[in-house]
Amino acid sequence: MTAGQIHDLGYQRYVGSRRGVGTRWSVIMRHQIASAWRGWWRFKLWLIAAALATAAAAALLYLASGSLFRFLGGLSGQQIRFADGVLPLSTWLYCKVGFIVSLTTAATLVAGDVQSGAFTFYFARSVRPRDYVIGTLAGLCVLIAMIMLAGPVLLAGLRLGLSDNLDQVIALLPIVAKALAIGALGTLVYAAVPLGFSALIANRRNAMALWATYHVVVGWMAQGVAFVTTPEVGALDLSAALNAVSLNLFDVHLRMTDQSIPTSAAVISILGHAAAAIAVVSWRVRDAQRTGVGGSS
Amino acid sequence: MTAVIELDRLAKRYGAITALDDVTAAVDGNIIGLLGPNGAGKSTLLKALLGLVPYDGRARVLGLDAATRGAEIRDRVGYMPEHDALLAGMSAVELCTYAGELSGLPRTEALQRAHAALYYAGLEEKRYQPIDGYSTGMKQRVKLAQALVHDPELLFLDEPTNGLDPRSREDMLDLIVELPARRGCAIVLSTHLLPDVERVCDHAVIMHRGGVRFVGTIDELRGARGRDSELFVEVKADAAGLADALTAAGASCRVTSPVALQVDLPASATTLLVFQVARAAGLQVRELGVRRESVEAAFLRVIGDAAPEPVRGVGGAP
Repeated sequence: MTAGQIHDLGYQRYVGSRRGVGTRWSVIMRHQIASAWRGWWRFKLWLIAAALATAAAAALLYLASGSLFRFLGGLSGQQIRFADGVLPLSTWLYCKVGFIVSLTTAATLVAGDVQSGAFTFYFARSVRPRDYVIGTLAGLCVLIAMIMLAGPVLLAGLRLGLSDNLDQVIALLPIVAKALAIGALGTLVYAAVPLGFSALIANRRNAMALWATYHVVVGWMAQGVAFVTTPEVGALDLSAALNAVSLNLFDVHLRMTDQSIPTSAAVISILGHAAAAIAVVSWRVRDAQRTGVGGSS
Repeated sequence: MTAVIELDRLAKRYGAITALDDVTAAVDGNIIGLLGPNGAGKSTLLKALLGLVPYDGRARVLGLDAATRGAEIRDRVGYMPEHDALLAGMSAVELCTYAGELSGLPRTEALQRAHAALYYAGLEEKRYQPIDGYSTGMKQRVKLAQALVHDPELLFLDEPTNGLDPRSREDMLDLIVELPARRGCAIVLSTHLLPDVERVCDHAVIMHRGGVRFVGTIDELRGARGRDSELFVEVKADAAGLADALTAAGASCRVTSPVALQVDLPASATTLLVFQVARAAGLQVRELGVRRESVEAAFLRVIGDAAPEPVRGVGGAP
């Protein structure tokens, strides 16, 4: 008797309840997280990098809250509030890590699924295109949020913890909301937008190259054009837009090109990019559903 | 009793292209061969049955309306695609568990059934290895397992023996033949390999140019034109002598080898005539049977004008 036949002896048709169709997206979300978690280079390594960046920023924040910095702040004759500047300045670091993770996870996702025929796998089951889009996006958002959102919120919490008294805690509470806002925008930038690029080309490597080119080269070009025309154009550089929002929200003034981008333009750019990306992914996935199962006819 | 698949004036048009042309049929059986040349409408029919494309008319699968209950149908139907549709970087057991969960099974149940399906497909030893390193035969087995994992009542198999060596092909066909008994599911086998159909199917649906040209059992397909008066005869020797004697008795004969011939008896005669004529001629009949067409010959006959069609674009339509 073979192992298969032995297994057959215990076989019974499944008669239990099935998960509702409306919740299948959560299975896809878990799958995306598990896939990224597998191995080191796709996510774990960069999460450690983000954790180290957070630790460095936290150390700086701790030192900056000390008496020496307060003394120096007093000497300068203006309100430096160096401690309050650590959090918005850390956005720059998170952007770098977020971009790398977006390359290893989001930028190849839809293209990879098109290449491997995964859409046939999905749509031969009770999975709707919107389940795939929501599940994939949610999974990526969880991953990217661990970098773009968790760090700033932890730093905000630490900043509150370093307050001198309860009144200061209450006064500083808005920084948590600001950190959440920056984290949410950063998550959108590095989850939704690269996912949209991955839906533009049915080839993993090309999709990754396209996103990298757009993020880096188009970003630089936008900054250059903004320098000679109007600062709003600079918002096409997504990391610069995010930095601008961060600096403006925390009212930290530095001589940076990023800060010249108005907050409204930066937010509109980020939300516009994300909306366009989600639209592209939805279109691609719907198309894959129509053509995938049962061949091309 | 409800037929596995019921079609009532099912029509699907892609612009000016008619992929399914008012198809009406009731399909039943344990293993049903879905046959037809490229562009016959098989893929469109599969999509319609899975509720993935809108259509005119009515289609019911397992008694459920495909237009309104597509999701429920897909939970009760398994699909093994022709082309690779496996997720990279996963092991077979992870993939099948994921497939089970996507079909609505709870995680622990999906995991248990993934192991069972992989055992069934003969991948018990390799189930923890990444699929990326699998041979074609192993990938076909994984595709079968992922189609089985959620315990479907109906299984669509699209070219399941594509790319397999003869040994693996035999193994795959053995698995398919045993499925109805071991897993209690009906099978729709879409293939171009007519010997596979002959080997495993008990029913057949033949499609051509968007219409269904034949629905019935394989025996009906092969015997649809055969009558009890159309015989094959094998003799010990001198088939030509027997052919002459039978021709003289009013039959028409065609000698196919020195010891075999095909005989069409006159309308009023029975097989007794062959024995009587053989005895009179001093020849020994070794075997006699009703002449049946091969599935391949029957298929070509059913689709009739098997000449190359003008390109209609159905194969590439969305």
